[in-house]
Amino acid sequence: MTWLTWRQFRPQTAAALAALAAFAVLLAVTGPHLASLYQTDGVTGCRGAGCGQAANNFLSDAGRYQVVYALGVAVIVLAPAIIGLFWGAPLITREFETGTFRLAWTQTITRTRWLATKLALAGLAAIGVSLGFSLTFGWWTAPIGQAARLATDSSFPLGMGPFSLLAFDAHGIVPVGYAAFAFTLGVTVGLLLRRTIPAMALTLAIFAAAQVAMPLAVRPHLFPAEHTTVAVGSVDATAHVSGNGSFSLGVRELAGQPGAWVLSAQAVNAAGQPVSSVPACAGQAQHTQSCLASQGVQIGVTYQPTTRYWAIQWTETAIYLVIALALAGFCFWRLNLRRS
Amino acid sequence: MTEVIETAGLGKRYRDVWALSDCTLSVPAGHVVGLVGPNGAGKTTLLSLASGLLAPSTGTISVLGGPPPTGPAQLARVGFLAQDAPVYAGLSIAEHLKLGARLNPRWDAGLARARISRLDVDPRRKAGKLSGGQRAQVALTLAIAKRPELLILDEPVASLDPLARRQFLQDLMEAASEQELSVVLSSHLIGDMERVCDYLIVLVASRVRAAGPVDDLLATHHLLTGPRQDPPRLPAGVRVISASHTDRQSTLLVHATEPVLNPAWTVSGVGLEDMALAYMRQDAPLSRDHHHLGVCK
Amino acid sequence: MIEFHLDGRSGVAPYMQLIHQVRHALRLDLLRQGDQLPKVKDVAAGLAINPNTVLKAYRELEYEGLVAARPGIGTFVTGTLDGGSLAAHRPLRAELARWLAKARRAGLDDESIEAIFASTFRSAREEDIA
Repeated sequence: MTWLTWRQFRPQTAAALAALAAFAVLLAVTGPHLASLYQTDGVTGCRGAGCGQAANNFLSDAGRYQVVYALGVAVIVLAPAIIGLFWGAPLITREFETGTFRLAWTQTITRTRWLATKLALAGLAAIGVSLGFSLTFGWWTAPIGQAARLATDSSFPLGMGPFSLLAFDAHGIVPVGYAAFAFTLGVTVGLLLRRTIPAMALTLAIFAAAQVAMPLAVRPHLFPAEHTTVAVGSVDATAHVSGNGSFSLGVRELAGQPGAWVLSAQAVNAAGQPVSSVPACAGQAQHTQSCLASQGVQIGVTYQPTTRYWAIQWTETAIYLVIALALAGFCFWRLNLRRS
Repeated sequence: MTEVIETAGLGKRYRDVWALSDCTLSVPAGHVVGLVGPNGAGKTTLLSLASGLLAPSTGTISVLGGPPPTGPAQLARVGFLAQDAPVYAGLSIAEHLKLGARLNPRWDAGLARARISRLDVDPRRKAGKLSGGQRAQVALTLAIAKRPELLILDEPVASLDPLARRQFLQDLMEAASEQELSVVLSSHLIGDMERVCDYLIVLVASRVRAAGPVDDLLATHHLLTGPRQDPPRLPAGVRVISASHTDRQSTLLVHATEPVLNPAWTVSGVGLEDMALAYMRQDAPLSRDHHHLGVCK
Repeated sequence: MIEFHLDGRSGVAPYMQLIHQVRHALRLDLLRQGDQLPKVKDVAAGLAINPNTVLKAYRELEYEGLVAARPGIGTFVTGTLDGGSLAAHRPLRAELARWLAKARRAGLDDESIEAIFASTFRSAREEDIA
């Protein structure tokens, strides 16, 4: 069965290896130069106060590789979906559509072993390919990541902090979790729908929904958030005032913690309680900020610090892997139930 | 002789439709068993139940003395050839043989190679590029070379041209003889079945209408013709399968264990095809019967 | 070795056709004592018929004393068919020719003659069996 699964999976494996090779070549061509820039700008092994400026220089120099960076992000973000659609969904639906399952299930092999071999081999391939892409991209972006941590001027490539939506999904270990999830989701949907095209469509829909729901609803709450306050007039604060006197306050960045993930920011009074209107400052559109500050209003910020980055990465990956395993278990149960 | 397939009250339902109902059979081993009936009668359902691809909704079925094959021990003893001979289009013939060898511990590689060499096709050819007859032969090789005790085939020749059909049946008979296989095959072409089968099951509209050795069936079914009698007066023990009446004449196809001695009736034998067709017409609307068999004056 | 053929339309059971062909071959000296009959497997494969049908025919021939099965080797001709010596045939033929002439003079056409012969033959056989 191992041989058969491998033989059936040969075209997909070849395509994946070709893509990975092309990706690696592209990054290998540009990577060393990026690393050398890192060195010449003096960021390597830099300690002390001057590092921030060196890092800023590097990041602006590295701007020429924006396209490659964007491409890398796109590839890593899309890869799980492609794996789910083209590896996961057809894994079983092809056999149903062509009727070959009747050939496979009447050889001297149980359905459980049939599915287990397919899931294991293709699943491991999915994880392996995803890991390959992630490691390659991780190697290439390492200088950028280092510099971003040191930089004083928060000019992240393409303006993306590590917690921003696309950046988080494209870096670290989570893509592997996404790939495992997308793959097993594809297999499960395929097992239930039994037709390839509808299975691909539904897999894409569910996967996209999950990828939207996770950063919006789950990721912020994986760990308890930190709180701090920021003065109304500070550099990173924003304020919007509308004509009738109502206002909203926000922050772009947290000074001293570039890259921290701001979850929410709102106006709070001196005691830390949220305020939505300050009657004393109504009608003073031009001077709202200074008025609010004088009234003791500050911006209360809820955020996840950058130190939490890897904890969140691993936790999220673990969640996706657990879901993937649960889906796989469901497939076994459902497969043997299908006899009814 | 042991039973190769034994069912009691077997039934299979899909949502609200019973594909097979109240099926009770006792199929002896060592025969080539034909399963005939119109399309949609439940033949594929019955064969899928016997091969372990489906589980019953009600009733029981036992195959080769045990439950239908799900575990490796039983799967090794039963070979199955599904309708339209599914093969992996991207795999070559040689790779299909490798599939058989890897997935079946009792694989007979010499037999498989011998059969494939008779096909006169390059074994490196992809299965998707083969003709229907060649695909059927490859699938048959896979089923036979695993050395089963029972071979189940679902409409194996339905989509083959006459030459391919004949060659397939020749090979099947050779295998049945050489390996002392029990064979169960379904078809809606009854003509082929007469040569090949010595046990017949007639399945119409999800129910078994007749089952038994072909010799017995032919000996107990008769065509009675005589002056018009509607309803016909017949001795007890004679069951009318189909009846057709014109203004002067009645033609009945009956099942009778004792000879019909009533001089009013001319008794003649029926072929297997006519017998099976009579069972299939049992549910057909009356008007069709009249047009078919009625001759005026 | 003889080669069998099957007439699907003759209305005669396949195993009977095989028996007839063996007996016919014996009469015509195409099969002699000691000759081997084709293997069951080969007949079944050649004609695409059930091997049990062939077995039945061979068993019937064995019962009639015409052949004997040697397990593992094959089935061999052991007996001869004496269809009555040719001497007995001649007077029967002559009698038949006279009857045919009578039937023609009575105005019977070919089909009627065949019908009379067939039905008389059949009822005579049934009387033999009964």
